Amino acid sequence: MRKTRLTTLFAVFLLALAVLVVAGCGGGSSSNSEESTAGGGGGEPLSVGSDIPYPPFEQGKPGNYTGFDIELIEAIGERVGRKPEVQDTSFETIFRDVAQGKFDAVISAATITEEREQAVDFSNPYYLSEQAVLVKEGSDVKTLKDLEGKTVAAQQGTTGLELAKEELGGSEIRPYPEGPDAVNALKAGTVEGVVIDAPVAANAVEKSGGIEIAEKVPTEESYGIAVAQGDTELLEEINKGLKEVEDDGTYKKIYEKWFHLEPPKAIFTETHEAE
Amino acid sequence: MSEFFHQYFDFHYMGEHFWEVLEAFLQNLLIFAVVAVLALTWGLILALLRQLPGKKFMPVRFFTIGYIDLFRAIPILIVILLISGGIPFLEFIPKDIRIPHWLGKPDPFWYGVAALMLVYGAFTAEVYRAGIEAVPGGQMEAARSLGMSHWQAMRHVVVPQAVTLIPAPMLNEMISLLKDSTLVSVIAFAESVLISRELLAQSFNSSALMLTGAFFILIILPLARVVDRLIARNQGRITRGSHIEVA
Repeated sequence: MRKTRLTTLFAVFLLALAVLVVAGCGGGSSSNSEESTAGGGGGEPLSVGSDIPYPPFEQGKPGNYTGFDIELIEAIGERVGRKPEVQDTSFETIFRDVAQGKFDAVISAATITEEREQAVDFSNPYYLSEQAVLVKEGSDVKTLKDLEGKTVAAQQGTTGLELAKEELGGSEIRPYPEGPDAVNALKAGTVEGVVIDAPVAANAVEKSGGIEIAEKVPTEESYGIAVAQGDTELLEEINKGLKEVEDDGTYKKIYEKWFHLEPPKAIFTETHEAE
Repeated sequence: MSEFFHQYFDFHYMGEHFWEVLEAFLQNLLIFAVVAVLALTWGLILALLRQLPGKKFMPVRFFTIGYIDLFRAIPILIVILLISGGIPFLEFIPKDIRIPHWLGKPDPFWYGVAALMLVYGAFTAEVYRAGIEAVPGGQMEAARSLGMSHWQAMRHVVVPQAVTLIPAPMLNEMISLLKDSTLVSVIAFAESVLISRELLAQSFNSSALMLTGAFFILIILPLARVVDRLIARNQGRITRGSHIEVA
């Protein structure tokens, strides 16, 4: 008796599991087909890799990603007739993956650097960036240099981490896998400063409270959209789309929506030669 | 194909970063050693509490079973994130305990140790329990009828027999503990996976990760053979006329 009841229970459990799995698959495929019909741009969909979350550049849940980068690539995709399909991926492997063709392009608040250019080609800059030193409200730390000898957090594989390593030789520098983890460590008080992209820092200050930006450090950095090396056709398409988006005011609209600031004038004239 | 080997098995690259990765791997061994001692102790305490007899101890048994079930069910990653992100906010705890820097180790190390100990304590408790319950009930009854208390019987009769039965499953837990020490990388403790991923971010080459994997294999494979040997020895003890033979 007891045994049969247990067996029944187990069978019911397995059945429930199977139903869940089937329902999950069904949901997935139906939303996929919706997306592809909604595309309708004629051209092939553009698969785009991005490390999500990195607000305000990229955020949101699967299937419903948003943010500055995401809206920009969608606007560019519209101009060139290719609907972007954004996939979440890890930043430290992102350039390798685009080089290997796992996706067509990368838009992930990625700074154009010589090192990265050995692996991929970059579009014209679509954003000019600064690093920010994020501290607790009322902290004694006023500049990046004040963090010397203290515990400092940054995100793995980012320019903020490189800057911290260059400038703060005597500090313990902790590379967190994701930016929000570093901010959380700051709020928890286990680190005394975070070196991270300025817009990300501004967004964290706005959303979380109790922290402030001590200093902004200009780095002459610019962000670009990366494609596999030698994929000049796609690169030209993206540059053309970006130019159109900048010229017709869409860029300004998206920029103001996400950063609550006017875009710097220089962004409209900056160009970049793929190496 | 050659791209694959260049990306993951660049031996020249592995050689260049060998010491760096090895040093980081020693941090994994250190986490493992500290947690192993703590979890084996904590697990035994939990297992003994779970075996307490009588109505009087029902709340203790209830609590212990709840703890063991809970910590076997939560992913370790979540426990690590909760402890490292949550404990520092508990301001009623003195700062030296909230944000520990004991023995020259940074706080992520201790958060990782605490999280792994809590989880592996629950798993090892179940292994101890299996051992304790495998000792025939007559042993406990005989000890009690000789006038021993429950604790004395546990201490001198049941547990000594139980621990001879469990080295193999316990070693399996320890193997998985050693591997899970890499999870502490999510809170930025510089162990081998974090260092390998740092190298990946700098060079776009994944070979350091494979080197880290090789270190783990090097330590764990011999342990797996030890497990086999222990199982064979145990079989030998309870099967008449058999002898130890391990390939």
